[in-house]
Amino acid sequence: MTDARTIRFTLNGAPVSVSVMPHETLIEMLSLRLELKGARESCGQGLCGCCTVYVNGKSVSSCLYLAQLVDGANVVTIEGINDGARLDPVQEAFIEVGAFQCGFCTPGFIMMARELLDVHPNPTDDEIRHYLIGNLCRCSAYPEIVEAVKLAARRRAAGTAPALAQELSA
Amino acid sequence: MKPGALAYFKPTTVTEAIGLLVDGGMDAKVIAGGQSLVPMLNLRMVAAERLVDVGGIAEMKQWSADDREVWIGACVTHDQIQIGEVADPSNGLMPKVASKIAYQAVRNRGTIGGSLSLADPAADWLTTTAALGATIEWEGPDGKKSCPADEFVFAAYTTQLDISDVLTGVRIPRLPPDATWGTYKLCRKAGEFAHAMAMVISAGARSRAFLGATDGAPIRLMHTETLVADFRNWESGHTALVSQALEADIADSGREFTDIQLWQSRTCLLRSIQMSLGFQPIKPEGV
Repeated sequence: MTDARTIRFTLNGAPVSVSVMPHETLIEMLSLRLELKGARESCGQGLCGCCTVYVNGKSVSSCLYLAQLVDGANVVTIEGINDGARLDPVQEAFIEVGAFQCGFCTPGFIMMARELLDVHPNPTDDEIRHYLIGNLCRCSAYPEIVEAVKLAARRRAAGTAPALAQELSA
Repeated sequence: MKPGALAYFKPTTVTEAIGLLVDGGMDAKVIAGGQSLVPMLNLRMVAAERLVDVGGIAEMKQWSADDREVWIGACVTHDQIQIGEVADPSNGLMPKVASKIAYQAVRNRGTIGGSLSLADPAADWLTTTAALGATIEWEGPDGKKSCPADEFVFAAYTTQLDISDVLTGVRIPRLPPDATWGTYKLCRKAGEFAHAMAMVISAGARSRAFLGATDGAPIRLMHTETLVADFRNWESGHTALVSQALEADIADSGREFTDIQLWQSRTCLLRSIQMSLGFQPIKPEGV
């Protein structure tokens, strides 16, 4: 039982099977075995939010999630939220508002912000801050991040294509 | 950071889980949401050679309710309580408490049973279940057992659970419809384990008051309860009365409090009492 075991799950819409050790965390498997570098291990204790991914539609800290537990589950990472032609509205909003400096924390913030908008489609500043308190930005781009979430909320409500996506596809 | 080598088992019944724990002895640990255990494994603060995942036991993820009480399975998550997926016996206290536990990603995974089993003194559910007069239920090699939540914890990280026991659920009596509550916890950083915590529930002429985030089990505040039961409104003179009652309660508890801990606990208690009397809690900036 301490040996590697093959697990099967859905990753960003596609079925995958991976051989993992029982002690391996989800973030290790994603970044080392599957070469998905968007979610990052930073604190390893669930305090920073940099490794946030979705398992069965809920955000989790993938550093606190044993890889074996995703057997049969549906996993989505930052690499899987665009539709192939266009970035997600939250990604667009982060770019337009400039809601980052170094970008290390950004995938985690975007994953959390998307879940936030599912729960609170028209969030107040307080709701945004409360939902995102588990994500740390050491560049301290927090004011811009709050603005980006509000912009994404307006875009989602209006159902309009983000300007940058239009430019990119033009 | 990563855990050391370990074996992983996912039983589908409580009996099977107990068998796996008995076989593993001291080296076996129960894992539910893993939101405290995995960080401790990552930091190598805990050595476990065998993890028994209770997440595959269907009955532990369930809940049930009648007009007297609500039973919540140990593997129900903080998020399920926060969003009201589980019946609320507490007039809104439990969803409020759940919404303030750590961060959303932790609430999505962390479970009420895991939190109680670990018994970090600052864990919100220890104080909440004690204040609500809940009963904690577990099962082990010797069969099923239960106890009142305020007798469950002996000391920090030390409960009535034996090494091969599995906490199965919590039984919480419904508060009367007119019962009011107040709770406040003091965190330097949003979402961290609290430095001090208080909870007050008042129904008619009776009150229950507890301090959490102490050096061990939650402390019941009997002098404060008697005092608060007579309050019908908040008046400035109450501050001194509550302070006296709290000091008497702490003296009775025999527990050591530094001046800072006493001030922090008093602040939490005063705000909890005010909140239970209908005052909005003082809101820290940016939270």
